[in-house]
Amino acid sequence: MAPTIAQKRWMYRHMLISRRFEEAIERIYFEGKTPAFNMANGPIPGEMHLSNGQEPCAVGVCAHLDAGDVVTSTHRPHHVAVAKGVDLKRMAAEIFGKAAGLSGGRGGHMHIFDPAVNFSCSGIIAQGMGPAVGAALSRKLQGKPGVAVAFLGEGAVNQGAFHETLNLAALWQLPVVFVVEDNAWGISVSKRQSTAVPRNDVRAAAYGMPGTYVPGNDPLAVFAAAGEAIERARGGAGPTLIEIETYRLAGHFMGDAEGYRPAGEKDALFARDPIPALRRRLIEDGSLDEAEADAIEAAAQATVDEAIAFARAADYPAPETALERVFA
Amino acid sequence: MTEQTGRNERRLTIARAMAEAVAQEMRIDPRVFLMGEDIATLGGVFGNTRGLVEEFGPERVRDTPISETAFIGAAVGAAADGMRPVVELMFVDFFGVCMDAIYNLMAKNIYFSGGGIKVPMVLMTSTGGGYSDAGQHSQCLYATFAHLPGMKVVAPSNAYDAKGLMTAALRDDSPVVYMFHKGLQGMGWLGTEPGATVDVPETSYTLPFGQAAVVREGRDVTIVGLAMGVHNALKAADDLARRGVSAEVIDLRTLVPLDRDTIRRSVAKTGRLIVVDEDYHSFGVSGEIIASVVEHDLRGLKAPPQRVAYPDVPIPFSRPMEQFCLPNPAKIVQAFDRMAQA
Amino acid sequence: MTDIIIPIDLWAEDREAVVTAWLARDGAEVREGDLLAEIMVEKVQHEIRAPATGRLTILRQADDIVRKGDAIGRIG
Repeated sequence: MAPTIAQKRWMYRHMLISRRFEEAIERIYFEGKTPAFNMANGPIPGEMHLSNGQEPCAVGVCAHLDAGDVVTSTHRPHHVAVAKGVDLKRMAAEIFGKAAGLSGGRGGHMHIFDPAVNFSCSGIIAQGMGPAVGAALSRKLQGKPGVAVAFLGEGAVNQGAFHETLNLAALWQLPVVFVVEDNAWGISVSKRQSTAVPRNDVRAAAYGMPGTYVPGNDPLAVFAAAGEAIERARGGAGPTLIEIETYRLAGHFMGDAEGYRPAGEKDALFARDPIPALRRRLIEDGSLDEAEADAIEAAAQATVDEAIAFARAADYPAPETALERVFA
Repeated sequence: MTEQTGRNERRLTIARAMAEAVAQEMRIDPRVFLMGEDIATLGGVFGNTRGLVEEFGPERVRDTPISETAFIGAAVGAAADGMRPVVELMFVDFFGVCMDAIYNLMAKNIYFSGGGIKVPMVLMTSTGGGYSDAGQHSQCLYATFAHLPGMKVVAPSNAYDAKGLMTAALRDDSPVVYMFHKGLQGMGWLGTEPGATVDVPETSYTLPFGQAAVVREGRDVTIVGLAMGVHNALKAADDLARRGVSAEVIDLRTLVPLDRDTIRRSVAKTGRLIVVDEDYHSFGVSGEIIASVVEHDLRGLKAPPQRVAYPDVPIPFSRPMEQFCLPNPAKIVQAFDRMAQA
Repeated sequence: MTDIIIPIDLWAEDREAVVTAWLARDGAEVREGDLLAEIMVEKVQHEIRAPATGRLTILRQADDIVRKGDAIGRIG
């Protein structure tokens, strides 16, 4: 399954929005945190898990989805949220802890909910999988169109929830796709140190579903694999497990010294940065020319600037609103 | 319950009352469906889903694998997507294998979405011991769930309340943990408290959350309980009455929200408070009830409040050991005697 | 007068049962087919329904041990 020119441009644009957004966050995150690093200080307090480098997973999958489809993501959700169409201004405001944020500042960056595009995430490893399966069940029971996609990291495959939800989804033949973003590291523990099999797509066989491995952090290859899986799900043929070889260009969280990485790994990763690589390919295959590529870049930057400006200018929530919205 | 006479006399066990409430709601609301272990063909280990799969079929009454994390997590996702799932955690003691789905997803998604999504789901789960099932199948854990914000928690003591609270739970847009005591289910093999099997209207009705019931009026002491504790309290009140002591008995019915006003009003009248709780003694329901009274007003108290709760030990298997630990009417009367000496 | 008899084919084995609950009160007016009682054989519950319309007299109380063919109540 090959993307149309419009889809290729869409993927490139959303990879750029995600990257520029995270670069802005990375910069702003350290405001107020230097020279003394105190996580609570600055305009963006708290933990920050960046997804720089993992954009191919998000765009390759979400290119096949519309707002009605359901996506659950992880503690590292920004790239997926961007690709799923989450309101960027309100997501930025949420990350800044502002009243205009998606949940009025209650959730922050690990708890992004945008019901308008059926996006949610959980900060606990593998625990977004159950809700994705349930959304898929809901669509099946209601006879409503739509599929669910659960994003997870390669570290999540050793959680009970992974195995329980794969079994349930296969048993009930639900329209759901499980996408493992294998960035090779669970904080400081490598995949090799934590997982008994080198590739997790083989685990699909244990649940009687197809499993696919996508090497090379390649958005077009992700697009192809995800397209098949989502088509299968939409057609009522049940779930699929996809593992994508990807990598994070940042640490696990902001402030991670990344001492666990072998020497030279980061440089090698940046040399394989998927965004300039996609630009070159799209220009080579005639999907874009240089001027169009530059225009997409500029537009992405403008979108991000606008969102960041919105978040900076927004008001903090009245403290006592912390006591609201516990129940529906 | 007031006894009714004449035609249409109809008593239900709590098990039947729960199933009837769910069935009636399923008939009018296609969004309601069930997931759980042994809830379809078997009708629930505790009888509370009997007859449902026969009427509504296996799509809406779904036997699940033994995968609480998967199906409770799935219920959260289905609830956010417009369904109204009912899930059964067979024994509340099993929460250890699936608590993230319960307290990090079910209980927090409304808040973390700023109210943008609803989580209309009911988690029904059995509580209580007294039948030598030991400490992994006999706990109540009321306080564990009531302590964590974002979940409503109900615990009926009789079939009338069970039906009304279930219907209310099914219509609530927030998650409700519906805790039913095994000894009140009318299942026989778990020991049966006859006082829980009462007249129940056939028509659908709701009971509001956060309204405790004064199930017996009295002047001298307030005994507060929930679920099985209410029946122990009523028996103790009978014993006390024979000694000329007039006990008022309050059935909390719901822990979240908690009707503190009814308790405070009663204690203001009687001046004495005993809390009966089959959950553990420390850091629990009994402490919360007493604190709710004393932080409000100390002046009306004639004696220090007392609690009759489960000691802070895992629940033992051996019958004499377990029975020694459980609350019972005699312990409540003894608690009153301690207060009378004060 | 119609006796409420535990059907002899309600369960296969020759085991005793226990009345776990009366779902109607002594003296109540009941209709034929109404659910009246639950009885239990080991952990399995069985339903006893009214064989006639009329006034219920309970003969065997909750917790009583009963056998197939026993009359647990009467309708008259």
